[in-house]
Amino acid sequence: MTELAQNVIDGLGRGSIYALLALGIAVIFGVMHLLNFAHGELITVSGYVAYWVFSAGLNWYWIAPLVVLVSVGTALAIEQVAFRWVRGAADFTMLLTSFGVHFVVQAVFFMYVSASVRNFDRPRWITNTFDVGPVTIEVFDVVVVAVTALTLAATAAVLLRTMFGLSLRAAAEDFDAARLMGVKSDRVIRGAFALSGVLAGIAAIFWLMRAGQTTPSAGITPMLKGVLAALIGGLGSLRGAVLGGLLLGLAEVLLRSRLPDGIAGLTDGVVFVLIALLFIFRPGGLITVSRAERV
Amino acid sequence: MKHPGSFADARRDVAFPMTGAALLAAVLIVGGAVYSAAGGATADKLVTAMLIDAIMVVGLQIYIGNTGVFSFGHIGFAAVAGYAFAVLAIEPARKSTVIRNAPWGLNEVHLTPVQATAVASLVTLAAAVVVGWGLARSGAKSGSVSAAVITLALLFVTHELALNWTDLTGGDRAGLSFRIGNTLEGRTVIYAVLVAVIVVARLFAQSRIGRLAQAAREDNLAARAMGVNPVAGQVAALLLSVLVVAVAASLRVYDIGNITPKFFFFDYTLLTLVMLIVGGRNSVTGALSGVVIITAGRELTRRFASDGFEFFGASLDAPVVDWLLREGLTQIFLGAAMLGFMILRTNGLLGDWELDTWLWRRWRRRKPEERPEPLAEIAPVGLHVEVDREGAALEVHDLAVDFGGFRALDGAGLTVAPDEVVGLIGPNGAGKTTLVNVITGVVAPSAGWFKVGERELTSAPSHDIARAGLVRTFQNLRLFGALTVHQNVELAARVAAQHRPGNHPPVDALIAEAGLWDVRGRRARELDYGSARRLELARAAAMAPAYLLLDEPTSGMSDAESAEMIGRIRHMAAAVDAGVLVIDHDLNFITGISDRIYVLDQGQVISAGTPDEVQADPAVRAAYLGAESDAEGRA
Repeated sequence: MTELAQNVIDGLGRGSIYALLALGIAVIFGVMHLLNFAHGELITVSGYVAYWVFSAGLNWYWIAPLVVLVSVGTALAIEQVAFRWVRGAADFTMLLTSFGVHFVVQAVFFMYVSASVRNFDRPRWITNTFDVGPVTIEVFDVVVVAVTALTLAATAAVLLRTMFGLSLRAAAEDFDAARLMGVKSDRVIRGAFALSGVLAGIAAIFWLMRAGQTTPSAGITPMLKGVLAALIGGLGSLRGAVLGGLLLGLAEVLLRSRLPDGIAGLTDGVVFVLIALLFIFRPGGLITVSRAERV
Repeated sequence: MKHPGSFADARRDVAFPMTGAALLAAVLIVGGAVYSAAGGATADKLVTAMLIDAIMVVGLQIYIGNTGVFSFGHIGFAAVAGYAFAVLAIEPARKSTVIRNAPWGLNEVHLTPVQATAVASLVTLAAAVVVGWGLARSGAKSGSVSAAVITLALLFVTHELALNWTDLTGGDRAGLSFRIGNTLEGRTVIYAVLVAVIVVARLFAQSRIGRLAQAAREDNLAARAMGVNPVAGQVAALLLSVLVVAVAASLRVYDIGNITPKFFFFDYTLLTLVMLIVGGRNSVTGALSGVVIITAGRELTRRFASDGFEFFGASLDAPVVDWLLREGLTQIFLGAAMLGFMILRTNGLLGDWELDTWLWRRWRRRKPEERPEPLAEIAPVGLHVEVDREGAALEVHDLAVDFGGFRALDGAGLTVAPDEVVGLIGPNGAGKTTLVNVITGVVAPSAGWFKVGERELTSAPSHDIARAGLVRTFQNLRLFGALTVHQNVELAARVAAQHRPGNHPPVDALIAEAGLWDVRGRRARELDYGSARRLELARAAAMAPAYLLLDEPTSGMSDAESAEMIGRIRHMAAAVDAGVLVIDHDLNFITGISDRIYVLDQGQVISAGTPDEVQADPAVRAAYLGAESDAEGRA
């Protein structure tokens, strides 16, 4: 029981970051049906920003806001350079475009920055823990969960209360109809990328605080986690993405602590197979977003 | 005269593809031999790698090209095959040092490379059966995300297994390696495999099952409405493509002499995918061009990165250039190639262009064909498609459909007798298209049933319904865009030949009847609107249907075109002996074409009868035509 409680606490901390990543991916999938495999590049770029700011002798109070700013900027830049040209193209085209962005960004960092690991200090409080009965809680997890909850609340407020949020939800429901109702597609798509940039930036802060380092390919793992979480949630569904993130975090912690030693290294593979099975039996994801084809 | 029911044209589908394949292989082989003769050992290695990549990429093309289903996982299959091959073919003495604890006594096994390839292929095919089942179960179709995810899972699982199952794979550090000198000698085997694989890929694309797969790629829904079960084509393409990939993987491992987990993972996936899409994934010629272009580009960027910019004697020597060009350039090249082609030319350089098809067209153009007799001349009183049409009425009873809270159909029913033309009319949102969607298996009803003759079809899948004789057209035009006019009609005729009894209308006559003879070689997506509508009608008629279900066949047409369409539909239906259920909201058109009319409003039939009776019905005037004066104006 104690172990389970411990797992749930750990899983929530982990899952919160996944939820932020997944939400960013789901927002973009909603407005332009693009499964963004380049989402992890926002983390990579953020990692180098963290490294440079840190090398300049500044601490995390400077790093955190800069990371969010740069992440938003990068998201908008990627949209401008690549995705705006494939709007409305076949899913195949958009999927491979995002892959192309991923590989180009990764190669640019590899070539012009460094192939080796770049380190920066992690905040000192990150390893602090406190005990509640038999369960040990990391201060970091508490901060992550709290900030995620605040971010989600703010995002929900934006989506539900503002004109931009309304256009974005309308566009996610039916893009053509939304345009006919006067929603400016350009603004909605750019807004969606900016929002995904904010969410990825916040996720990046936590991801980097914990990692304390970055490499040109640092974005791959967070990107995969985000994509998997968004897939679990049914891709287009924003609520599903958050739920998918939390579920993925829990599933990973549970599998890692429960799987026998020899197979524990396969956790990611097992998660992947579970998700593949989910897609085989429920092609729409856990929370089905009905997207009926017009006949 | 060709045997009816046989659509294979020996020249088009066999002789030319084989010749074209041989030509393509010859270009690669001779070009490669010349280059390696001039360039020494490095060039030799490069050419060998390119030829093996070519086999691999053709393997990918067989699946991705023909089905349009996007697979990230084919390199995962390659990993399975590569490891299976290495484990079986490396001699026991060597295995006892690298994988001492191999399971199932595998370190005692020693097969020849050919035997090992065969067994590795079988193992990989078994994996393909599992993945193929999963893909079919998930309803994979062109561009579907679920297929990308399922195949990506395969890639990751094989990678993690390779990393972690060290007893079998040697893990990350050592991997599995052959003894030095104990690897592939010469390129004869590669040449032979390359020729065979290109021939097979072209024959498959021209085969019946290949055509069915391509139809489903172009439009899954329309393919099912033409009696095509997309799963069959996808599974066939998957198994064939995985077989080719397994052989290519074995060759690659044997040529290089070792295998590690990263050997068949992301980098190779990127490389092969870029090769596939740059030339054009829908064509074998395109895939092979991509292999050559990307191999050359990669070699060039690699040289720029290591030796600085030097191109045919011209050289740039500046610190900026040296700073720009450095290790990693090849990765940028690959990423940029993928990005650039997706943005600028998503179907690759060649699109659907295929060498042998082009040659065949040129060859055929030299001897003009005679315009066939239109259907009306061949079969003025019908072809008598079905032997026994007694009591084979289409009956639809009490259908109900709910979309969320909206009741689109509320107990609607109708009957159509064989040889009868029945109109279904109603205002927008009355449920007309929903009714056709239900009786073609696209939408499942919450209540009610329908049957043709004695055969109840209520819960049958779309393709079975089409095979049973209910064949539809679509309001928003769903043709197989990349296929020619002729291929569109022929495809339906092929399905009919297998699944519809009795006589079948000749393909050429149908095309002539639809007024499309002069454009029969043109791709369907290039047709003007009216021609596209007529092609849809001809394609449906080629199914030799018991009933044609026409969903707004004149939408978007002028009054004159609509009037002409009346004659064409009645004629075509009579010629293939089909009853007709035609939907429209244009009263003039419906009264002009129909023997009987049903009026649908808010999901219910509010009136039925002859055109005159319906027009006189006050309920109809109220519900459908609105104001009295308006009714006078239109009717």
